[in-house]
Amino acid sequence: MALDLVHDLQRAYRKTVDSMSRPGLITNIKAQADKVDLEIGCFKSTVVLVQMLFDTEVTFKVVSKREAEITKLLNQLTYAKAAEAQTADFILVLRDAGPFGLEKALIAACPGDLTDPHKSSTIIVEADALSNERDLALAGPGIDAESHIKVQTTGNWVGLRAEKNSEYPLGIEIIFTDSDHNLLCIPRTTQIVKQVVG
Amino acid sequence: MKINYNFAFFDEGSKREIRRATLKAIAIPGYQVPFASREMPIARGWGTGGLQLTLSLIGKEDVLKVIDQGSDESVNAVNIKKLVKATTGITITGITTEATIIQSRHRIPETPLKEGQILVLQVPLPEPLRYYEPSEYETKKLHAEKEYSGAWLMLFEQIMNYGHMSTGADHPVMVHDRYVMAPSPIPRFDNPKMNCAKALILLGAGREKKIYAVPPYTRVRSLDFEDFLFEAESFQGKSCRQCGATGVYLDEILDDATGKTFYQCNDTGFCMQRLNGKPC
Ligand SMILES: [Zn+2]
Repeated sequence: MALDLVHDLQRAYRKTVDSMSRPGLITNIKAQADKVDLEIGCFKSTVVLVQMLFDTEVTFKVVSKREAEITKLLNQLTYAKAAEAQTADFILVLRDAGPFGLEKALIAACPGDLTDPHKSSTIIVEADALSNERDLALAGPGIDAESHIKVQTTGNWVGLRAEKNSEYPLGIEIIFTDSDHNLLCIPRTTQIVKQVVG
Repeated sequence: MKINYNFAFFDEGSKREIRRATLKAIAIPGYQVPFASREMPIARGWGTGGLQLTLSLIGKEDVLKVIDQGSDESVNAVNIKKLVKATTGITITGITTEATIIQSRHRIPETPLKEGQILVLQVPLPEPLRYYEPSEYETKKLHAEKEYSGAWLMLFEQIMNYGHMSTGADHPVMVHDRYVMAPSPIPRFDNPKMNCAKALILLGAGREKKIYAVPPYTRVRSLDFEDFLFEAESFQGKSCRQCGATGVYLDEILDDATGKTFYQCNDTGFCMQRLNGKPC
């Protein structure tokens, strides 16, 4: 059965809303991702997110070894336009982006300005695995007492993200997904502290 | 002839735009995100902003509750329910705990909201600084600079003139210690329900084309002064004539026959449930 562009995207959107409003809450869009019958070269959950959010009014940047090819396919699929990382509404850091892909995206991403902090980048990141293991502790709006996550990916993203988001309300959002089609959102308001093991 | 509606009335392009704006609104609590408000088949000022949010969210599995000034059966609430039902076929409820989405105008239900629920509030005037600053350009600048002395001055003048803060409803709040926000024309009684609520609160203004949000577990503080604290309407010593509830927002009603005043729950769904002996 093909992805239903009305009902499947609505379900995926609500999961994204849940995860964005409660950072650390890992939701899953496997039911929707399994219906994606396009071979783009990224996770099927990433394709669902792209179909949910992209259209002609959106600009995006792909960080991948196959950037040119995937950019072309996503443009054909959604009519969203390619842009440089510094100005793109969305940056997609795909699994084959290499060890510094996410770091470069975080450094380049646009955090908006004080008048229009919403005109800022959202980075969609394909991680190796997402879980609620006690690796990073989260605090901030949307989090009751405490929330813990473990994101298996490369690079010093926690530090670079904190730097990018240091002048709230300026900042960027991150949506992580993995090969099991989990979703984890980290809005700019979330404080991340590395758990000390011991 | 059968009329073919889009599911949830909107075309998918309209939903996408509202969805992108909503995700940014959740990420920046209390900040008003502009969006391209659509024309709706109900009169503006009757909840087109809230309705657009609801339609962008709703799916076949949802259960919707709509309340207008505490009533599920007002003309406005009924019209909104009819439109959503006609274009989605979803289940409508009057019971707060059963609803996944609650669209409301002028009240937050008495029954505490749960995790996973979404409260959509209809907003006529989203800009809390408009009272003293007519220019949108200027108010955006004031928010950018976190320059809120005008909002405090407005409250101070009310205290000087009336001996109390005369904001009947829509008493401004500070969200996540950053943005001053209009909570929509809810009574002051409902303001504290926004602080660290378990549900996501989304606010939509159709005419002014703004969406903003209060995520769950977010600090929301009503503006006040150290020596002049914020006070909700008090119903101390009063109870609902029908269900006996205390500690809820009560309407004062004058009995024409006896000339006496009595009180009853403003949230009629809550009152009915108590009368039917069901837990709220
Ligand atoms: Zn009652």
